[in-house]
Amino acid sequence: MEKINIICVDDQREVLSAVSKDLSALSDLFQIEECESADEALELMDELDAEGQHIALVISDHVMPGKTGVELLTEISDDNRFAKTKKILLTGQATHQDTIAAINRARIESYFEKPWKADVLLATARTLITEYIFDQGLDYQPWSEQLDNAVVLSRLH
Amino acid sequence: MRKYFKYLLPIVIPLVVLLLPASAFPVEGLTILQQRVIALFLLAALCWVLEPIPIYATSVVIIVLELLLLSDKGIALFRSGAGSPEFGELLSSSSIMATFASPIIMLFLGGFFLAMAATKYRLDVNLARVLLKPFGSNPKYVMFGLMLITAIFSMFMSNTATTAMMLSILAPVIVLFGKDDPGKTAFALSIPVAANIGGIGTPIGTPPNAIALKYLVGENAIGFGEWMAFGVPFVAILLVFAWVLMCAMFPAKQDKIELSIKGKFLKTPKAIIVYVTFAATILLWLMGSSHGMNSYVVAMIPVAVFSATGIINKEDLKKISWEVLWLVSGGIALGLALDQTGLAKLMVNSIPFDNFSPFVVLGGAAALCLLMANFMSHTATANLLMPIMAALGMSMSSLVPFGGGVTLILVVTFAASLGMSLPISTPPNALAHATGNVESSQMAKVGVIIGVVGVLMSFIMVWILNLVNFI
Repeated sequence: MEKINIICVDDQREVLSAVSKDLSALSDLFQIEECESADEALELMDELDAEGQHIALVISDHVMPGKTGVELLTEISDDNRFAKTKKILLTGQATHQDTIAAINRARIESYFEKPWKADVLLATARTLITEYIFDQGLDYQPWSEQLDNAVVLSRLH
Repeated sequence: MRKYFKYLLPIVIPLVVLLLPASAFPVEGLTILQQRVIALFLLAALCWVLEPIPIYATSVVIIVLELLLLSDKGIALFRSGAGSPEFGELLSSSSIMATFASPIIMLFLGGFFLAMAATKYRLDVNLARVLLKPFGSNPKYVMFGLMLITAIFSMFMSNTATTAMMLSILAPVIVLFGKDDPGKTAFALSIPVAANIGGIGTPIGTPPNAIALKYLVGENAIGFGEWMAFGVPFVAILLVFAWVLMCAMFPAKQDKIELSIKGKFLKTPKAIIVYVTFAATILLWLMGSSHGMNSYVVAMIPVAVFSATGIINKEDLKKISWEVLWLVSGGIALGLALDQTGLAKLMVNSIPFDNFSPFVVLGGAAALCLLMANFMSHTATANLLMPIMAALGMSMSSLVPFGGGVTLILVVTFAASLGMSLPISTPPNALAHATGNVESSQMAKVGVIIGVVGVLMSFIMVWILNLVNFI
C-alpha cells in the first residue's frame, strides 16, 4: 500500500502535540509528521517525495521564526511535485493581508483560527485527504474507513 | 453571412457531389460507392480546413459515415444496389471499426504510456537538468542545449508536451532578459522550432510519421530503427541550421544566463521500473526485427508493464490524448475507403501524371503539403494527402528511378512536419506565441526559411537514400 503523509508545522511543541492528538484517529492509516519550522517541513517533504511517498495534507501555523506559514504554503503550491497536496492554515495571529495572501497565493483549502475545535479539524482533514486520494488517482478502498464518505460518493458518481 | 460559410460549405458541397448523376464526373466507370467516397473526402477536407467542429470530431464523423454509407452493415437503403458493377464492393464494417485499434494507433498508445510515465516520475525534467549542464552559461550554447534536448524529447513525447515543459523551464530565465533584448525572441522561438523538427526523428515523434508508416508496407516497410537512421541525421542537420539562423537573426545581448531546475532523480522501485522499461522499449525498437517483434508489438510492452505495476493508474488513463488517436484513426479510415473502393487508383489513373516530370510531381506534392501544414493540423494534412500520394507513388512509373512511392511518401511526410510559420500552424507554435516574446512576423520569417530549407534537405536525403539503394 502507498504511504500517505500528513505534515503538521508549528514552532510551539505543545501546539504540535495538540494537533497530532486531534488527528490521532487517522494515525493508523496515515503517517502524521511533526515539524517545528517551515524549512524542516520542506526538507522532509523533499525526502518523502523522493521515496515515492504521498503528502496529502500540510497543516501549518503562520507566525514562525524563519519562513512564515503563508510563505511555506505558497512555496508548496508553486511546486509541481506537490500540485495536489492540500493545505490548511491554522493560526491566531494572521493579519488581514496575510489571510488574503494565504487564499490568493498559497491557495489554501481551509483556514482555522486558534483555538480550534478538534472534531471540526479532524473532519476537514478527512475531507481533504479523501479529495487528495481521488485527485491523485489512487484506489481509495484501502483507506475507506477513515475517508469522508460524502466525498467518496460524489467522486465515484 | 461569412461566418456561416464554414458550417455551410462542408454540408452543401458534399451533398451536391452525392446527388449529382455519375455522368457529371469526368471519370470513366465511377461506381456509386466511389462517388460517396468523393463526397466523404470533400467533407473531411472542408471540415479539417475550416474547422466548424474539432478536428478529431471530423475523424469520428468520417468513420461513422463510412459505416452508415459504405459498409456491409450500413443502412439498408444505401445497400440496395450492392453486387452490381455500377454500385461497387461494400466495405467490411469490422475493418472500418478496426481503424480505431490499428497497429499504428497501438504504436502511438505505447508512446503515450512511455511519455506519461516519464513525466509522472519526472524522468523528463531530471534528464533535462542533467543534459543542460555541459552547455554552460553562454546564451548561444544554452540555446543550443535547449534545442537539442527539446528535439530529443519530442522524438518520444508529444511535441506539445515537450514544448510546454521546456517553456516552463525557460520562463524564469526569459524574464531576466532586457526589455529590448532580441535574445528573448530567440529563446522562446527556439523551443517550438526544435520540437517541430525533432518530431521528424522517429515513427512515434509525430502522428504524420505514423500515418506514413501505414502506407509503407510490404517491400517498402521501414522499421523503427531504419526510420531513425535517416530521421535523426536529418533532424540534427536541420537543428544546427535553425540554431545558426536564429542566433544570427536574434542575437542575445545578455552575456550570461543561468537555468535552474530543481529536483533529483527518483530512486523508488516504481521509478526504476519506469527507467528500465523506457530504455528497454527504445532498445527493442532500435534492434529492428532481429528479435522477431515488430515495433507495433514492442509498443504494447510498456502498456502492460505500466498498467500492471500501477505506474499508470486509472486516473492517468483518463488523461491520455484519445483525441489524437481518434484523429489518426479517421485518417486511416479515409485511406481505407479510398483504397478499398478503388477510388484512389481510378483518380490517379484518370489524370495523366506519367506525362509530368517526376520532379514536378515531387516538388508540387511537397509544396502543397507544406502549404497545407502551415494553415491546418499536421495530422489532418497527412490524413488527407497520404492516401493519394500512396496511390500516386504506386502508379507513376517515371518515379521508379527516384525510389518510387517511398520517395514521394517520405518527402510529403517531412513536409507535413515542417509547416511552422504561423502561431496556428502547430500547438507548440501557439504556446511560444502565447508567451508574448515572439511576434507573428518573426515566427513567419524563421518558419518559412526553415520550412523551405527543410523540404529541400528532404529531397537531398531521399536522393542519398536512393544512392545507397535503401529505397
